Formats: sequence, C-alpha cells, structure tokens
Amino acid sequence: MHKYFPTQEIGSLKKPSWLLSVVKNPDISKEDKSRARNDAALLNIKMLEDLGLDVIYDGEVRRVEMYEEPVRYIKGFEFAGRVRSWDNKYYNKARITGEISYKQNFHGEEFKFIKENTKHDIKVPVTGAYTLADWSYDEHYKSKEELVLALAKNVLRPLIKDLVKLGAKIIQIDEPAATSHPSEMDIFRQSVNESVKGINAKVVVHACFSGNDYESLAPQMPEIKAQQYTLEFANRDSWDLGVNDKERKGYHVLKLFKEYGYKGEIGIGVTDVHVDRIETPKLVRDRILYSAKALGDPAKVYVNPDCGLRTRSRTVAFEKIKAMVEGAELARQTMNN
Amino acid sequence: MISSYTVGIYPRSEELIEATRKNSKNLSSLYLKEKKEYIAVQKRAKLDYVCDPLLDWDDIYRPFSKLKSVKLSALNRIYETNTFYRRLSFDGPLDDAGNIVKSSLAVSLLPKNRTACIADPYTFADVHLSTKYKKREEFTLAIAKMLRKEIDALVKSGFELIQLVAPSIAYNEKVDFGIVKNSLEIITRGLKAKTILHFYFGDVSKKIEKLLDMPVSGLGFDTTLTPISSIKKHSFSGKSLAVGIVNSYNTKLEDKQECVTELNNIISKTKPDEVFVTTNFDLQYLPKDFAVRKILRLGEIARGVRSA
Repeated sequence: MHKYFPTQEIGSLKKPSWLLSVVKNPDISKEDKSRARNDAALLNIKMLEDLGLDVIYDGEVRRVEMYEEPVRYIKGFEFAGRVRSWDNKYYNKARITGEISYKQNFHGEEFKFIKENTKHDIKVPVTGAYTLADWSYDEHYKSKEELVLALAKNVLRPLIKDLVKLGAKIIQIDEPAATSHPSEMDIFRQSVNESVKGINAKVVVHACFSGNDYESLAPQMPEIKAQQYTLEFANRDSWDLGVNDKERKGYHVLKLFKEYGYKGEIGIGVTDVHVDRIETPKLVRDRILYSAKALGDPAKVYVNPDCGLRTRSRTVAFEKIKAMVEGAELARQTMNN
Repeated sequence: MISSYTVGIYPRSEELIEATRKNSKNLSSLYLKEKKEYIAVQKRAKLDYVCDPLLDWDDIYRPFSKLKSVKLSALNRIYETNTFYRRLSFDGPLDDAGNIVKSSLAVSLLPKNRTACIADPYTFADVHLSTKYKKREEFTLAIAKMLRKEIDALVKSGFELIQLVAPSIAYNEKVDFGIVKNSLEIITRGLKAKTILHFYFGDVSKKIEKLLDMPVSGLGFDTTLTPISSIKKHSFSGKSLAVGIVNSYNTKLEDKQECVTELNNIISKTKPDEVFVTTNFDLQYLPKDFAVRKILRLGEIARGVRSA
C-alpha cells in the first residue's frame, strides 16, 4: 500500500434476493446452487472493485451467517435452536457438548474463488474464538477461558494456517462479542494471540462497539498480536462537517488508543451501518482527517464501514461504499494540498 | 413455606418465530395457542405461581411504548448478552398509564395463583431516556408512580406475587440506594401483594446488606453470578428469599438432587420467612424445548425441597 487511507469492506453484504430463492428451492440441484453462489460472489467482487475499494472480499455471500456458518463445521458443537437477538430477529444457537476440534478449512473454497477472480488485496473474515464461545451454550468445558482457548488453538489457528497456505495475506478476526464483557478482556487477548501464533499474515481484529466506547479494549491493544483494528465510530458521531472534537465526538477514543501505546493501524468506521442515510463524501473526509490527526500518523488510517453492511439494502450499502471511497479521495487531496 | 415460579419472557417456538417474522395472518391465534401450552407446562410442573409467558412482548419494556408520550428509540444491548431491547424515550406526562401491563397479559388464561414480572423503577429509568424528566431521581420516581398504577391494576386482577426485576441494581457498580428505596416505597406502600426484587446480570454479594433494607417482601438472586456462599452469610429473617437456581442461560439441565441439597443448605443458613425457587432470569435465552425441560426441572426441585 502506497497511498494514504486505503478503503476496505468489513465483510457481509445483504444477499441478492435471486440467490436466496435459488438456494432455498429444494427442486434446484446442488450443482446449480453452487453455480448461483459463484455468480453472486463474482457479482459482489466486481461491484466492490468497481466502487473503488482497495481491499475486498465477496460480501460473505456463501455464508449462512457469521456464527452459524463456522459452527456447522466444528466438531463439538450441536445446534440447540433459535434464540432472540431482538424483536423478531433470531440466531441459531449451539451447545458445546464435547471436545472442540477442527474438521476442515470451511472458508477454503470461498477464498480460492475470490483469489482467482480479483487482483485486489483480499481480507478474509473469520469469526473469532471468543465470539464463538460467548454466543454458545457451554455444557462441556470447566470455564469460559478453557473453552475460548480450545477454540483458539484447535480451530482458529489451524483454519488461519490453512488459509495462509492457500495464499491469504490478510486475515480479519471478527469479534463482535469482544468488548461485551469488560471483565473478560484478558481472555479475549489470549484468544487472539493463541489464534494467530505462528501465523505469517497481517492480522486485523474487528470488534463491535459495546457500551463502554472501547475503553476496555484500549489497554489490551498493544498486547494483542494484531496489526490493525477495524472498529465502529460513525454510529456515535455527529453528521456535522468539521475536524474538531466538537463535531467528531464519535472518534475521541482514538486518542485513548494512542495514550495506551497502541502503534498499529486503525480501520476507522466512517459509515453507520444501522441507518439508510448516506454519509456525504465531505463528512467521510472530515472523519478521516480527524482520525489521522488523533492517531498522529495518516499512514495508520484505513477506511471502512463501521461493521458489515448486511443489514442495509444492497442499493444503500453500495451508495455508502461509494461515498466512503469518494470521501477517502477527498481526504487524500486535502493531505496533498 | 416453599414455592416456585419462573421469571420473565419465555422463548417462542420455531413455528411462532416464523409466524412473527412473516407477520402471518394467524399470528394472534398462534400466540394464544402457545401461551396456553406454556401455562399448561407450568401447571404440569406444579409451579406454585403461574405467569403469562409474554410471547408477544418484544422485550420487557415494549408494552410501555403504547403510552402517548413515549417514543421508540435505538436498539441497545441487554447488559452483556447478545440480545437487544429497544430504548424508550419518555417525553411527556405518564397520566395514561395504569392498564398497559394488564392489557398485555392473557389474564383470563391464568389460574388464581398468578404472578407477573415488571422492571423495578431504578432499572427502568437506568435503561431508558427522558427529555421531560432530566434528573435521574426525578425520572426514577416518575417511573415508580407509573409502575404503581400498573401494579395496582394487576393486584386488582388477582396477581398475588409481583416480581420486580432489577438487573441494573446488580449490574451497575455504583447504585444510589436512596433513589432505589424511595422508588420502591412508591411501589409497595400499602400494596396487597408480595413483591420480590430480583437481581441478575451481576453479582450483588457486596450489596446484600443494603438490599435487605429495601421495602419489598423479598429478594431474588441469580445464583450463577451472585455466589450462594455470599447469600448464606446473611439472615433473611423477616424477608422472603427467591433463589434463581435454574439457569436460563445454559442448556445444561440442573441436577435435581444437587439443587435440593444446595437449597436446603441455603434455607438452614438464611432462615427466610418464605422461600421461592425460580429461574435466574428470563427463559427466552433458551430455545423452547430446553426451556420446557427447565420449567419441569424447576418444579421437581421445588417438590424435592418441600419433601426433604
């Protein structure tokens, strides 16, 4: 990367409705479903390339959902049934009923297809050990720490190794649950470090915002073996233009990361994934410039949405990415003037 | 005396989940059918107090969005869980309260020995917003007055036991117990029903002494987070004790005999006026099949303690 403020996606996009109707149709053959998935992956790859993202994936178009997909392939899990996320939204939650072990590289085929079909940098999202443990019922291990470390050593590490063997250079460990239990941050740190032990790839950690504005994450950041964190900021920020503390209230915590001695990169969330309102390129520009100043080094700033855009329609998601790419370009121009 | 009941919202069946997602035409009849089933399960488990399973409540606060001055706000995480509730903004007077909870319950399906669950005023004010009541105390007391009207309506309809769920008192490190006490006085003064202040999502070990001073009939504990050893250090003479020994956050079924032994031990150490055996919090954190097993096991444990 030679330019400032490279742009990237976090991972998920809403699946095209035609794909869902194909994969849910029992009368359509496995081969045709597989072809439809390839088409959808190709569509997302080309769309993200055309929008101008520097680092891409395929919108996680083949994955059922970030928890259910890996759990299907890990020995020791059994699905218990659906539980509520909110209102009428549910997720399929699993029990851990025996020793956890890795069966196969469940993202291998997906990664190979993307690699064959793009020349852009690829960031592979994998669901982290801590989140897999936190979102499951543990009936087997004596403690959460024991379970998390078993997942990190026996599943995440071999999975990431296999992806790197296939040519993956950037791995994003998705940990939406990371900061939901501030008292368990030590377990979280160990989880990432054990997952990436001996791995020769750039490690990115994606953690969602959860209540205490990453204050529990900040002290751990220098000790976690990650080169980049992709985090949420936009959903707590104002929509006013400006590069001062008053307008950029969602990004103040960046100063805390620096105070705790974190010297790596931050993928700053510049688009709110919970609303349809599209950020203007100028707003994105100001969020980037504020972040660059707060971190004290523009080379450390990457630009992404707060989180996966799967909760938005594809039209809205693509509009948001377009504004994000344009905003990054405006920020580069400002830096060069 | 030893009694049993469950706390909070129950999980929907797969059929009901699909129906709510698709907003099916037969949704109301499905709600009714499943409510009847859950009430039958509670009776089969011989629970001493039976509740509405609240299948049509999206979260424990949502019915209050029917009030004229209340607006729905952003989604917010329920403490440290992977479940979210919708924040409410209380932006005006709450004069139209009094029938919100009762009208949201299937009262006619319930037997005479009925219980209902409602958030305590401190928790309620802690997790919602107000543009009208700017100070925390003012907001909490306004909520308490609103809840009192609701609880009066429930008591008139025969609810004998009111569970005041108080996760914020457990979760928050710093709690203004003066506000908690003043708000609970509004709720319980002259009330002709038992009230249990129930704590979960946090360890209240260090708060028990202060909580024993609260104007409620009894205290309830999530024993996965507040260690039983800390509960046993206190005398519950003059108070009731509700022990949330059945875990709604794990599918693993409790060992009946272990629970009975533990409960007998707690009772002999704390000497409460009345004992309730219950879940640590809402069963909605489990899929339905597991929730049903937990309800039946809860009944077995309560009967085991009685016969010991």
